[in-house]
Amino acid sequence: MADLQDRKMKDAAMRAKINQKLVETGERERLMELLRTRLIECGWRDQLKQHCKDIVKQKGLEHITVDDLVAEITPKGRALVPDNVKKELLQRIRTFLSKQSSV
Amino acid sequence: MEFGHPHPFSNSESVIQASVMDVMNEMIDEATLGISFEVHRACKLGTLFLGDTDPKSEKDHMIVDKPGIDVFGQIPTKKQFECVCPNCQRHLAASRFAPHLEKCMGMGRNSSRIASRRIANTSSKRDSDDSPEDNDNDSDWSYHVDRKVKKLKKDKTNNSPRRNKSSKLKNGDTGIENTGTPESNIPTYEQMTIEERKALLLQTCGVISEHTKKMCTRTHRCPQHTDDQRKQVRQFLLVPQGCGGDDDIQIDIDSYDDADSQSLREHLQWEVASSNSSPTDSTSTNNSTSSKKRAGQKSGSSKVSMNKKKKPPRPPDISTASVIPGSTSSLYDFV
Repeated sequence: MADLQDRKMKDAAMRAKINQKLVETGERERLMELLRTRLIECGWRDQLKQHCKDIVKQKGLEHITVDDLVAEITPKGRALVPDNVKKELLQRIRTFLSKQSSV
Repeated sequence: MEFGHPHPFSNSESVIQASVMDVMNEMIDEATLGISFEVHRACKLGTLFLGDTDPKSEKDHMIVDKPGIDVFGQIPTKKQFECVCPNCQRHLAASRFAPHLEKCMGMGRNSSRIASRRIANTSSKRDSDDSPEDNDNDSDWSYHVDRKVKKLKKDKTNNSPRRNKSSKLKNGDTGIENTGTPESNIPTYEQMTIEERKALLLQTCGVISEHTKKMCTRTHRCPQHTDDQRKQVRQFLLVPQGCGGDDDIQIDIDSYDDADSQSLREHLQWEVASSNSSPTDSTSTNNSTSSKKRAGQKSGSSKVSMNKKKKPPRPPDISTASVIPGSTSSLYDFV
């Protein structure tokens, strides 16, 4: 139990550290730009937008809230990202980290 | 802390792996969040469904993604730019449109008359027969201009207003019979029948030019060509190619010399005596005679009119009038 908590804390610390590095160097912004481009290229954006429209139609134009939309499409968004885009992004983050640790 | 783990390196590796995955998912979520905001904003502004169309048109105008055809589902073809002539409703290459309009509609100073005549000709022709030969002769409708340069040249000399004008200037002093016969008739002597050729040759010099391949439209006395040349042309045009039946033709031409020349002489006397009557009047009065005869008279009378022009105050000269039929007959005195 303590071990699990310990690990979670460790993970969170690690994540915060990585994020900090990414933001500090500006790499995160570059990676975000790359990701957006790739997602548009592979049609993920259009797919997701169409899904949003379906949700809006289903719930009614007046009653839709940002929270509803986020809750509905976040899992869908993660699932729809193609594997090769994910792989590329992972690879990029890893190379960045290895460069950082070597410096 | 790390002592509790049997494989500290792989553990930290897996921790890094998990952390990197988390970071990536965060980034994806961020992109998704961006879309959420965008869609929500569009919802509230009412612009979300503006780009949508009804399912039917969406289906009709779907982007076609197949090899060999474009996005509209059409097979790409190399299309020649074509114009439709507003005057004669024919299609023609864009590069030939302006020169065609010049001829067809009649722009410029001289061409309106020519154009209207041409329109009348083509319309009557098109009504009667739509033969491909008709189109072939027209330089406007052929893309393969190089192959038909000769024909094209001929056509141009025929129809271009500028050309026509210059030739008119050249023929200005030749007298009545030249203005009476439109120039466009002449270069088609290949298609003319023997009778038509005869009629033409009785009126004009008819020597075929080396350069323009056109026949001289002046009188028999034109200074540009010699009697020998005229003789040659007559031999060439009136003797049927490949057969020896030139006897009857000779008879045809010379037939008016014996019996008809007498009446012609009388007629000429009468005509010159009544000095104020025009030669066209005289031919019209004698319309009842045979066509052969008429042709002869016409040539004779035109000569007399030439004489009259040159020396109007002189009294009727029978000797010159009577000499002419002999001289013309000597022209046709081949074999």
